[in-house]
Amino acid sequence: MAVYRPDSRRRPVVVLMVITSLVLITLDRRENGTIAALRGTARDAVAPVQDAVDGVFSPVSNVFDGVTKVDGLERDNARLRARIAGLEGKLSRERGIADEYSQLVRLLDIPDVEDVTGVVARVITGPAGNFERTLTINKGTGQGVIVGMPIVAGDGLVGKVTEASRTRATITLIDSPGLGVGVRTEKSREEAVTQGRSGDRLLRLGFIDNPRAPIATGELLFTAGVVGSAYPPDIPVARVVRIDRNRGDLDPDILAEPLVDLDKLLFVKALRVASTNATAPAGG
Amino acid sequence: MRAVRYFLLVVTLVVLQTALFPSLRLWGAAPDLLLVATIAVAYERGPQTGAIFGFVAGLAIDCFLASPLGVSALAFTLVGYGFGVFQGGLVRSSRWMAPLLGGLGGLVGGFLWVAVAAVAGQDGLFTGVAVRTVFVAALYDAVVALAVFPFVRWACGEPEYAHR
Repeated sequence: MAVYRPDSRRRPVVVLMVITSLVLITLDRRENGTIAALRGTARDAVAPVQDAVDGVFSPVSNVFDGVTKVDGLERDNARLRARIAGLEGKLSRERGIADEYSQLVRLLDIPDVEDVTGVVARVITGPAGNFERTLTINKGTGQGVIVGMPIVAGDGLVGKVTEASRTRATITLIDSPGLGVGVRTEKSREEAVTQGRSGDRLLRLGFIDNPRAPIATGELLFTAGVVGSAYPPDIPVARVVRIDRNRGDLDPDILAEPLVDLDKLLFVKALRVASTNATAPAGG
Repeated sequence: MRAVRYFLLVVTLVVLQTALFPSLRLWGAAPDLLLVATIAVAYERGPQTGAIFGFVAGLAIDCFLASPLGVSALAFTLVGYGFGVFQGGLVRSSRWMAPLLGGLGGLVGGFLWVAVAAVAGQDGLFTGVAVRTVFVAALYDAVVALAVFPFVRWACGEPEYAHR
């Protein structure tokens, strides 16, 4: 164990490191390309070792998940069985409507989200830190995944690519506090913006065009896809689960649950959409 | 030679932090291995080495976080320096020192990280959930410190001067 003897020569070194840290924070906040390249290089360098560790320890993490999440899995199972039963009946009724819609879309040559191509990727790991909602996937700029691409899974929107190196990409999830998604409601077609809340998987609906719109519990939210939006239109996002209309408040407090289970993703798809704000790396 | 050991220490902990522990969360919290290692280095080598190691380790893990580069570097530098000064006042070592320092350091470092990240512009950090996450992560840090402190002791090698 070292014994500390006060030495004024040590303090300039510490002060220098503090100043360097502050400079780096400022540069990164201004989206400095050099810092982004540094991050990408570090991620690509560690990627092969991460893959090896993931391969060795995935049985351990599966056992850990099995022990810590068994109650939740049983509840999910029962809930999903009930939901399937209801959906099967609804599917039969809506088959006829879907057929008419497809014919109309083809006749009018309207682009559909089903037409969009993309890159399928495997989710490698969750966030390394405790205060972010991100995922890392095993594809990067080398496979056509670039910053700004929207990410979807089977049931709906997952998030968008916020960082990408040659072999890896980071997705910020839709329930992250810093990410908002422009949506419209299913029935009343009101436009609003979802806002993630720290520590809560539910999304708050804000910036509603008409606060008195008849939004109901159970109503679905789809991406609005306005001009300049990062997301194409009509991707399912969430379902309204709670509405609190308190007297005196201008806007109702509306909470929605993402349709995709963001904590159990194995595979996702990065969409190639021409109208997104996706940023290709310099030099490809 | 010591530099090579420090390098191996940092790389190993970064790989474990990014590849293994995201899947081993308890109540949504994972331990902060690089922070625990910074405290261990400060305990073994004093404030200047602790601060330098904290800066390098913080920069390394910042490359894999969504927060701005430099947030962890700043927080870990201050924790490394502070614990290096603090350990000078400890009159004897104990086998409980590792989990005690790991847990206390996790608590102080966790709140310091939240404060620095919030000033740097990260949203949604001043919530009750964030406080709970810091406490749970600190408990987890206390447990992993039992493994991290011996690893750090190996990396640090023989002390330049030792008083036990």
